[in-house]
Amino acid sequence: MSQSSAPPTAAIRRPATTPMRLGAFVNDATVRAIFYQAVTFAAVVGLIWYLVSNTIANMATRGMSAGFDFLDVSAGFNIAFTLIPYREGDSYLRVFQVGIANTLLVAVIGIVFASALGLVVGLARLSTNWLIRTLARWYVEVLRNTPLLLQIIAWYFGVFNLLPRPRESIALGGFMWLNNRGAYFPAPVPQDGFETVLGALALAVGAAIAVSVWARRRLRETGRAFPAGLVGFALVAGVPLLVYLALGAPLGWNWPALRGFNFVGGFSVPPAFCALVVALSIYTSCFIAEIVRAGIQSVGHGQTEAARALGVKPSRTMRFIILPQAMRVIIPPLISQYLNLTKNSSLAIAIGFPDLVSVWMNTSLNQSGRAIPIVAMTMGFYCVVSLIVSFALNAYNRRILLRER
Amino acid sequence: MSDATRPEPLVFAPKPADPPPPSSIGAVGWMRANLFSSVPNALLTFLGAWILYVTVAAVLDWALVKAVWEAENRRQCLDMVGRAGACWPGVAAWIPNLIYGLYPKDQAWRIDLGAVLLVAWALPLWLPRVRSKVAIGLCLVLLFPLLASYLFMGGAKGVVWTAAIALGLAAFLWCWLTALAEMRRGISFGALMARLLGARDDARAARIGQASLLALYLVALALVLPLELVEVPTRLWGGLFLTLVISGIGITFSLPAGVLLALGRRSEMPLIRVFCVTFIELFRSVPLITILFMFNTMLPLFLPAGVEVNRLLRAIVAVCLFASAYMAEIVRGGLQAIPKGQYEAAAAMGLGFWQSTGFIILPQALRIMIPSIVGNFIGLFKDTTLVSIIGLFDLLSMSRAVGEDTRWLGLFIEPFFFITMIYFVFCFLMSQYSINLERRLGAGQRR
Repeated sequence: MSQSSAPPTAAIRRPATTPMRLGAFVNDATVRAIFYQAVTFAAVVGLIWYLVSNTIANMATRGMSAGFDFLDVSAGFNIAFTLIPYREGDSYLRVFQVGIANTLLVAVIGIVFASALGLVVGLARLSTNWLIRTLARWYVEVLRNTPLLLQIIAWYFGVFNLLPRPRESIALGGFMWLNNRGAYFPAPVPQDGFETVLGALALAVGAAIAVSVWARRRLRETGRAFPAGLVGFALVAGVPLLVYLALGAPLGWNWPALRGFNFVGGFSVPPAFCALVVALSIYTSCFIAEIVRAGIQSVGHGQTEAARALGVKPSRTMRFIILPQAMRVIIPPLISQYLNLTKNSSLAIAIGFPDLVSVWMNTSLNQSGRAIPIVAMTMGFYCVVSLIVSFALNAYNRRILLRER
Repeated sequence: MSDATRPEPLVFAPKPADPPPPSSIGAVGWMRANLFSSVPNALLTFLGAWILYVTVAAVLDWALVKAVWEAENRRQCLDMVGRAGACWPGVAAWIPNLIYGLYPKDQAWRIDLGAVLLVAWALPLWLPRVRSKVAIGLCLVLLFPLLASYLFMGGAKGVVWTAAIALGLAAFLWCWLTALAEMRRGISFGALMARLLGARDDARAARIGQASLLALYLVALALVLPLELVEVPTRLWGGLFLTLVISGIGITFSLPAGVLLALGRRSEMPLIRVFCVTFIELFRSVPLITILFMFNTMLPLFLPAGVEVNRLLRAIVAVCLFASAYMAEIVRGGLQAIPKGQYEAAAAMGLGFWQSTGFIILPQALRIMIPSIVGNFIGLFKDTTLVSIIGLFDLLSMSRAVGEDTRWLGLFIEPFFFITMIYFVFCFLMSQYSINLERRLGAGQRR
């Protein structure tokens, strides 16, 4: 009350000593920044210290250890499906490697199928045909709006587990058999001299790259085009084939055959793998389809018209005008979908496919009780994959960045 | 001068245009343009029709035509139609479990009441002439959880919790009273009370407004005090109810947390930026299931001995942190899309950081971000299915349990089909609402 009733001059007459200076100090941006950061730092460090000290105390009372020494110990459990050789009794480190190999196998195969399917559905969404367009739209809407985990489980319990027994296997094209034990393929068996074919393939790929670099430079310098794509394809496909035939076809096939109640030989994947790959591919294909559609629609119609006005043929318009510009929009989200697919492959645990999370973060963790190193290694693997991909993506983005002014 | 001698003035009178050829209008024309414009197109149409026929006919045949609607157990279903038709009685018998989980069925009215309260509370947001929509929305987000938590959990309520529940109830009453007052008289509840009691000046009116709020709180307190609900431990929660609780909390938490993280990531203070970037990138680069596992196994290790964190809370913490990292990246995208001139103009007007962010930048950024935010909500809603892997009984777990019931042994596809439709309806409605909202809010941007 006394302040508000004082004459207004009082405020002006007040000596501008400490309070004003303090105010200036408190309102200084640098001081504030240092203060906020100090508080945040103290809070974060305090939180970490609190968690770490609790963890150490808890682990001491439970007799747990955080070291990595268990990696050499024999794991002592079997794994239903392994891409790389594994025997019961191998070390925990080997289990980790098996998990990574299985996860990467699912991811790579899923990415191939999802891209192909996504491209087809994305183009179908842009079709001039109303029926195809609508079908593609509802394919995307239905599959995108239901949980992936539900789809994986439904494919597993609803389809791949209900397949007939091995004796009544479904044969697909004479080189693949489906039954309730999994899918069976013939396995390639390299014989003497197959290394030479692989060497020839490597040489041919190198030559094709060299040709395309040379062709691009000649195009830039002289304006004369060279069919580098065709020549490269001929090199990559033809040279190894010639070497292969010249060496007398040094590659055998181990065909799966029905013996008694099951197939013997060949390469087989369990039903859980099939369910996982099918569900992941179909689910991710919806997102890829939308990315493809958005990318193509993002290229203005004026580009097509300008190309037609310049007399560029429609096929070349797509190849040289639309696609390069659409790719700029498509590639970054596409890569992040690939990353999502890789991360989503961890849902394998729900249907018992031994991927990294299932075999390492679940089975190994429960067996060895080393929660901290195991969780750190699992998360570390996914972090490394993401970091590598995002570095590659950033490099690509910098390369294709539109340079304006 | 006689008019008759003059010739008729020459006027150009066009003949009426011929009607368009019958093959280019109506259903025939539409089909020619959209389905049979060329030979390849016609072939595509036949292919599409074939795909449509095969899938839709198979599903309809299984789900409706050959389905069994009345049976005692799965054996009877199998005897009647085998696997050719769906066995719906199993799903029907399990519907209460699918919705409420293991929640005691005589207490299920509490969940229904909570849902009704939520809808009733949100209703004023869509009523015309209600001006306090922001306040009502904030009350809903901040105070509904207080009311709902007791309704769902029950048990002994201490002094603090009683006060909190009463606050929630008072807020609900205030929201409806204000909405009604504004709809009928165009003034808020406090002002209406002041007018009814005949306040002479503004100070008096303000005091009456405050007093009426206090009275409202006391009324709520009086209603809450005698309320005694049986405790239902969270391990009994399940079904659609649990799915909605986890995703609801995740959604409410992740938006503000994501905004803060995004601001931190764009901050000029290096330490804060480093912390935010580390948090965001760490949580975005690993799958949700690893985070759920980590919190499930490691949270008891992180906390002092003797502190029990129930499984539901562990899952909720994991989902919240995961969702806010994703939300942060979406908000960052929105912030980056705001032209620099907006920041500079706000600074030139003398607005500080929080003012310019809150009044100038975020409202514009949030509008651009609506599709991505809703997309993130949909993703979160779908991702709650992952809690079934760490042993919570969400909708997916409950549907898997149908096939393990001895009466309905092996009944998996029908419950999956049913909950797929539930998930689809929720997600599809969310996405359609976001498209609608985007169109409405973007009206000023269009030319």
